[in-house]
Amino acid sequence: MSDDKLLVVKDLTTTFATAGGDLTAVAKVSFDLERNETLGIVGESGSGKTVLSRTIMGLQPRVNTTVTGSSIIDGFEVVGASENDKRTIWGTEVAMVFQDPMTSLNPVMRIGKQIDEALRVRLGMNRKDAKARAIELLELVGIPSPAQRYNAYPGQLSGGMRQRVVIAIALACSPKLLMADEPTTGLDVTIQAQILNLLDELKERLKMSVILVTHDLGVVATRTSRIVVMYAGRIVETGTTRDVFYHHRMPYTRALLESSPKVSNKSHTRLVTIPGRPPNLLDLSPGCSFAPRCKYATGQCHSERPELRPSIEPGHAFACWNPLPVNAEATLP
Amino acid sequence: MTDQRTPLLSVTDLEVTFYVHGHAVSAVAGVSFEIYEGETLGLVGESGCGKSTTGKALMRIVEPSKGTVELEGVDITKESGKALRRARTRMQMIFQDPISSLNPRRRVKDIVAEPLDCWKTVIGVERDTLISDLLSKVGIDPSLYGNRYARQFSGGQCQRISIARSLAMRPKLLICDEMVSALDVSIQAQILNLLEDLKAEYGLTLLFIAHDLAVVKNVSDRVAVMYLGKICEIGPADTLYESPAHPYTEFLLGAALEADPDSPMHSQVLEGEPPSPMNPPSGCRFRTRCPNATQKCADEEPLPQEVAPKHMVSCHYPLTIHHKSTTPTVLEG
Repeated sequence: MSDDKLLVVKDLTTTFATAGGDLTAVAKVSFDLERNETLGIVGESGSGKTVLSRTIMGLQPRVNTTVTGSSIIDGFEVVGASENDKRTIWGTEVAMVFQDPMTSLNPVMRIGKQIDEALRVRLGMNRKDAKARAIELLELVGIPSPAQRYNAYPGQLSGGMRQRVVIAIALACSPKLLMADEPTTGLDVTIQAQILNLLDELKERLKMSVILVTHDLGVVATRTSRIVVMYAGRIVETGTTRDVFYHHRMPYTRALLESSPKVSNKSHTRLVTIPGRPPNLLDLSPGCSFAPRCKYATGQCHSERPELRPSIEPGHAFACWNPLPVNAEATLP
Repeated sequence: MTDQRTPLLSVTDLEVTFYVHGHAVSAVAGVSFEIYEGETLGLVGESGCGKSTTGKALMRIVEPSKGTVELEGVDITKESGKALRRARTRMQMIFQDPISSLNPRRRVKDIVAEPLDCWKTVIGVERDTLISDLLSKVGIDPSLYGNRYARQFSGGQCQRISIARSLAMRPKLLICDEMVSALDVSIQAQILNLLEDLKAEYGLTLLFIAHDLAVVKNVSDRVAVMYLGKICEIGPADTLYESPAHPYTEFLLGAALEADPDSPMHSQVLEGEPPSPMNPPSGCRFRTRCPNATQKCADEEPLPQEVAPKHMVSCHYPLTIHHKSTTPTVLEG
């Protein structure tokens, strides 16, 4: 592998032992990430995108969980590393912005102290320096009057402001990779635009890479350079954002695009739907997981699992036995 | 068009005031609109703008403090007791969280039958046939799933059951409060299409409350935009989206993310957050965030004015309308 890559994920598999049997939430996922790149991980609920992002940085639950494969962040192998070793990269190499800004902050601790904590514990700063840096960070993420806000409790801030605080905490130790798991879900559209612009701007300014995990194709369309589409724990299509949107080969990708309502559509546009619902991960068929909902499915789809294979564009791959034709140019509804 | 007919629902100067620690919070501050038979009115706005409270006040789930709500000529705000209950059967509500709006310990067919059993309009075999019919209409096999408990269903299926329950009394008006926002895109498309089909079949009129601009446009004939307890713009869905007249609507549409990498990026992002409804700004409520605001906006509250056919806006300086279909209208400030 090239030394240039910030993150190399190879055959990463996360299995949970549940009462109903072994549940493979993430199955043989491989991809890599350049420096200063934004990658989108897209999928519906239960597709494994959150478990994947947590496994990449070693945040999976400690009990009843088996992880195999490898996830190398800037030369550090996360899979199999001890908690103590992982702590050396958390914060400084990789940091996470969690989904729910309402619950990822401690409600009875001043926000300034929550930022200080990372600085003092991880970087060994003294109280005074940490406070100065925390105020700088609050300013960086666009919180008005940061010196006063330093003493505020999370409950005194709105959802958008709290998400900015969560981002400030993630940035405290200048990570090289920022994982954002549904960073704007639950926020209003105008606030969502503010937060996404902020992430873009910080990525450029701090020369970070960003992984944007989301169910919303609108969020990744204009903010990422590459996309990974997940279904039932596996990557079903990956490529540049343009290839995935305009030259997708996997029927699931197309179905996902077609079923999202668009502002540019006329009102009362009939939506194309995907019949059925996502599969039960405890009871997966030996074939393609999407086959039961796919209108192109054949016998082979139900019996044999398709592996990712390259399409014509560089870096574009899909997992499908009956892919859409290559010249599916501008097929967006 | 629709407005030669008498409106099915007319709402005049509706106000809802809550008291929080003795402080008055005007959640809905004088809202007037009409819904004509057979049409869908979309109500969009960000969280806290009062759109859900408006929906609930129509049903008198929350008590309006002022104004009238006339459904088929009956003023709901003046009724009480049995007459109110009877009037309420003419409109039904579908709520945001499909799982918590159904009792997990009751059987699906009993949940759907509840309104019928309250009113004893249909009994015996006829009742059972009707329930089976309703369940099949929403895509739930009554013989297979009718005896199952609500907790055994997924979010999308629960929303289908909610729809079946709401149709049991054959209402005229359906109030849908964020009914698809908790669902995945593929399921969301199924529910939206189902709603359109049932609307045609049952001759329903809809008030569709949601924050997602694309979803609202998809189902609505007309759209009303709310900001801080007031309607700032109302008009036909296609023309309002094509050429908004209120600066807030323009920002809202600019912030909406389209699932298309080539969609234009709007550089202008609405700054700040909505002011507190406890202490709303004088005059126009949007003036504190509006780039075009002047002294006049602080002094005088803008009244609704017609800028294009059936397109009303409450703004002293509305944006120029540029429909592709009609000649541009020049407006004076």
